[in-house]
Amino acid sequence: MTVEMNDQVQKILDNYLGRLRRHLQGLPDGDREELVREIYSHIYDSYAQDETKDGVERILGVLDRLGEPSEVVSGHLSGSMKRMGRKRNLPFLILAGFFIGIFGLPLGVGGLVLLIGLGITLAALIFTYYVAAGAFVLSGWLTIIVTTIRIFYPHFFVENIHLLDQVLPPEFALPLNYAAGVILLLLGVGMVLQGRHIQRGARYLFGLPGQSMRHLRQKPWFIAAREKGEASIVANSLEGQV
Amino acid sequence: MENKKKQLRKGILELAILGALDRQSHYGFSLIKHLTGDNGIDLTEGTIYPILSRLSREGLVSAEWVESSQGPPRKYYVLTESGSEAHRVLAGEFTRLQELVARASGAIDRHDAPQDLPQIEVNKEANHDC
Repeated sequence: MTVEMNDQVQKILDNYLGRLRRHLQGLPDGDREELVREIYSHIYDSYAQDETKDGVERILGVLDRLGEPSEVVSGHLSGSMKRMGRKRNLPFLILAGFFIGIFGLPLGVGGLVLLIGLGITLAALIFTYYVAAGAFVLSGWLTIIVTTIRIFYPHFFVENIHLLDQVLPPEFALPLNYAAGVILLLLGVGMVLQGRHIQRGARYLFGLPGQSMRHLRQKPWFIAAREKGEASIVANSLEGQV
Repeated sequence: MENKKKQLRKGILELAILGALDRQSHYGFSLIKHLTGDNGIDLTEGTIYPILSRLSREGLVSAEWVESSQGPPRKYYVLTESGSEAHRVLAGEFTRLQELVARASGAIDRHDAPQDLPQIEVNKEANHDC
């Protein structure tokens, strides 16, 4: 049994295989041609078994059942290779970048610098907060240690404690020093614990740019525009060849 | 919804392919015919090729080109030894999952699963003791 394919059918088939090859850009030549041969073999068998009279209708039915090239190749390529196959988007992206560069740059740079400046300021404030908390914890802890050591060695650290020229009697100074140490320590620990609110706020603020990009990509009009772009390219190439 | 359907299908389709190849070797088109049969399950035929190539990469199937008297050569797939093993394991898992789904949606009544009830009672008693 041999199968006749007229010129039109052959053109549709070639167009499909061409698109398949483009989707497989990035695969080694041997692997790519093997898959194309396999798909060609499938199309041939499917076409031979189909009983539709009109050749064009028949091949379109066969290809429709087979699915778009993107479905046939998904999984053959890793993500990065798939992106390489999308080279046809590149001219458009370059053009878009060019226009944004010309019209958006003067406006954009000022805003961007302001945003970056604010971000750095905020980061510095948060950093300062934690440094202060750390200082509290450290000084509280040291106060407790020094006070404890002074129980056994009353002369330890004595010149620093007498800075204010006030010498308190030990029975009075000890609990006072301990209390001060504990309060400082608790203050520092409390600041660190409360810092989680600040962290949450900061994560939200610094995460905003990424989030809005993600939202943008999920917007129906964005997806529609992208798919329309691909569909029109396919339609154009079909019209050109059939 | 369409996405969920796709996800569910993917794994099961893989199992079906392993099952079909366990019985005899197939080329892509014959495998599709074998899987869909006459009942017209709507299967985008191309989706089996990525699965076949993945199975091949994983060493579960091996492939060879065979000349055809009716047209271009065909790529035949056979299950390897580890493929048979994978099919056995996955088929067993699938049966268990099937039962789980049937029981969860109440298709199997209590009569069929007697071991469930006593266990619940034992737990209750244990709670009373506490």
